[in-house]
Amino acid sequence: MKRSWFWTALVATFITVVAFLAPQSVHAAEKTYTIGTDVTFAPFEFANKDNQYVGIDIDLMNAIAKTEGFKVNIKPLGFNAAVQALEAKQIDGVIAGMSITPERQAKFAMSDPYYTSGVVGAAKTGAHIKSLNDLRGKKVAVKTGTASADYVNSIKKKYNLTVVTFDDSNNVYQDVITGNSAACFEDQPVMQYGIATGLALKIFTKPAESGTYGIAIKKGEPELLAKVNAGIKKLKANGQYDKIVAKYLGTGSNKSQKEKNDSTQETDHSFLGLLKTNSGTLMGGLGETLLLTVVAIVCATVVGILIGLLGVIPNKLAQGTATTFIYIFRGLPLMVLALLIYTGIPSLTGTKIPAFVAGIVTLTLNEGAYTAAFVKGGIGSVDKGQMEAARSLGLPWSKAMRRVILPQGIKIMIPSFINQFIITLKDTSILSVIGLLELTQTGKIIIARNMEGFKIWTMVALMYLIIITLLTWLSNWVQKKVNA
Amino acid sequence: MTTRVEMKNVHKQYGNNDVIKGVDLQVQDNEVVVLIGPSGAGKSTVLRMINGLETTTSGSIMIDNVDIAKPGVNINAIREKIGMVFQHFNLFPNMSVRDNITLAPIELGVMDKATANAEADKLLATVGLSEKADEMPNSLSGGQKQRVAIARALAMKPEIMLFDEPTSALDPEMVGDVLAVMRKLARQGMTMVIVTHEMGFAKEVADRVVFFGDGHILEQGTPEQIFDHPNHPRLQTFLNQVLNA
Repeated sequence: MKRSWFWTALVATFITVVAFLAPQSVHAAEKTYTIGTDVTFAPFEFANKDNQYVGIDIDLMNAIAKTEGFKVNIKPLGFNAAVQALEAKQIDGVIAGMSITPERQAKFAMSDPYYTSGVVGAAKTGAHIKSLNDLRGKKVAVKTGTASADYVNSIKKKYNLTVVTFDDSNNVYQDVITGNSAACFEDQPVMQYGIATGLALKIFTKPAESGTYGIAIKKGEPELLAKVNAGIKKLKANGQYDKIVAKYLGTGSNKSQKEKNDSTQETDHSFLGLLKTNSGTLMGGLGETLLLTVVAIVCATVVGILIGLLGVIPNKLAQGTATTFIYIFRGLPLMVLALLIYTGIPSLTGTKIPAFVAGIVTLTLNEGAYTAAFVKGGIGSVDKGQMEAARSLGLPWSKAMRRVILPQGIKIMIPSFINQFIITLKDTSILSVIGLLELTQTGKIIIARNMEGFKIWTMVALMYLIIITLLTWLSNWVQKKVNA
Repeated sequence: MTTRVEMKNVHKQYGNNDVIKGVDLQVQDNEVVVLIGPSGAGKSTVLRMINGLETTTSGSIMIDNVDIAKPGVNINAIREKIGMVFQHFNLFPNMSVRDNITLAPIELGVMDKATANAEADKLLATVGLSEKADEMPNSLSGGQKQRVAIARALAMKPEIMLFDEPTSALDPEMVGDVLAVMRKLARQGMTMVIVTHEMGFAKEVADRVVFFGDGHILEQGTPEQIFDHPNHPRLQTFLNQVLNA
């Protein structure tokens, strides 16, 4: 029996899989270190109105590199993604207002302390909360993995607090402003920055000493650790450190903080004003979203069709492979899959995966599994008599499939394909967890600076809707062409 | 006389359920064999075994001295010389009437496109549907569809034709046209195996009628023997039911 078509398909699947799993070789130039950082932790790190990353940590890291004579490539990944990337040894260090804890010291090489943080509590302006005692039995919000989270956990028994955690500072504040939580806790400069930017919050505690910030360095980089420690020491001694801190915090008063903020902020906070200032940044995010979507749709469609076909080949092994693929990758939540691929695989194999590649692989596997399921179902829904009639004429299985079954199956599948394309576009937003600067992540970053959550999310939502509308029109047009 | 099909002690089981329980059946060259019997007797299953659409549990099926019940046989080559017509036509709705007919000869490299098209037009003329060549199957009536299906099955120039209840899904007024085409084929000497409930037609065209009951062949013979002098009590009951319905 001639099955050349089938073998071609099988070989193509194999090549696709190998291409995805092949290690991405990344050659770092000598003495350039990649340092990850958060994107939403003003005033330590945040994007200013020109979409440049600025803040105490950024300036400090650059100053250390300058005095110690090495190059640094600062990657704004988001806090969790940065820590996970460091764990997976995808980057050399993280500077992101990280408290020095025994757990972190065990995992990474932590530098000497460069900042002593003080955690403060804040409540809604006008709320009758004057001290920790007023919080008894209430809900408080903190950001995950921060010194304030540790602090709140240390006092939650005493004051009978319920703790809710968020990945973004702005969500922490909004939870208090909307009244879900009675108060939030955050490092003093961070909180002060937010309030100076216009948050309707009021600090009601004195800064509680909660620990010190250090730079996390990849284990096995003693040279970098030594340079970082030496740099911190020199900058503190020559006064440059104090200058950097003052540049963002002013004298510590609310008024001087406000003045400092204005240098990085949009002047016009109206919807149109914000849109005008941020349109470039948002369009950049949209571009990344579209690129992710298009590449993911192409890869997921190819993989989905191949796996779907594997599922209908009259061969137990092929069908088992397809069923298992669909079972695993349709069963895993997209976010879990993304984190597993981005941080899990490198920690196992020791090879880096760029976030974009990890994102595409994630979408390809997940959307590909859904595609495979409806491709398999679509083919299965073609009348069994069609295959019998084609085979009775002497056509081999592959020819019968290609000429008779697939053309009919694809017609049945078209609405599912359109649906899947739209889902893929929306699912790219989940990839913000691995630090991809797509539209949703871009929105988060802008909000971290200007605290205008509602207006910015409205812009982001409208952009998604416009693209989805265009995609739907295009799909309907294609569908009409096919059915004509 | 040359034996074209020879089934020997053929069995088929679905799980623990015996469907075909030891069938021996021969079809000679140019012979028209009609399989009759109540529903579930196994006649369609046996017919579909002749071109390998149905597998066997044991026994042998020799087509021109090749046992197609053996694994590893090139069933596609066998099918090229056996045409089949289905109860529900099974035309390919995604292609025109002409493309339905030319698909196999072109795909299998038997004819080039021009030859296949010319051949298709000839076949359509034979079944009286010349003007329908460019139509899509869904615009045809049931009787027209079945005649196209016959033309499609003939396109590979088969030596044997299998008909699986070709008129059962048709409105009564359409049956005549389809039977007329089959009658023409029989007269031209085509070797045919037909499963049908059209007893009048069976009587008219069959060289031999085979009566199936419960997975066995219970009686076979000329149309006169079967219809006028039935021996087996089950055949007598069956004929009474069918002819007096």
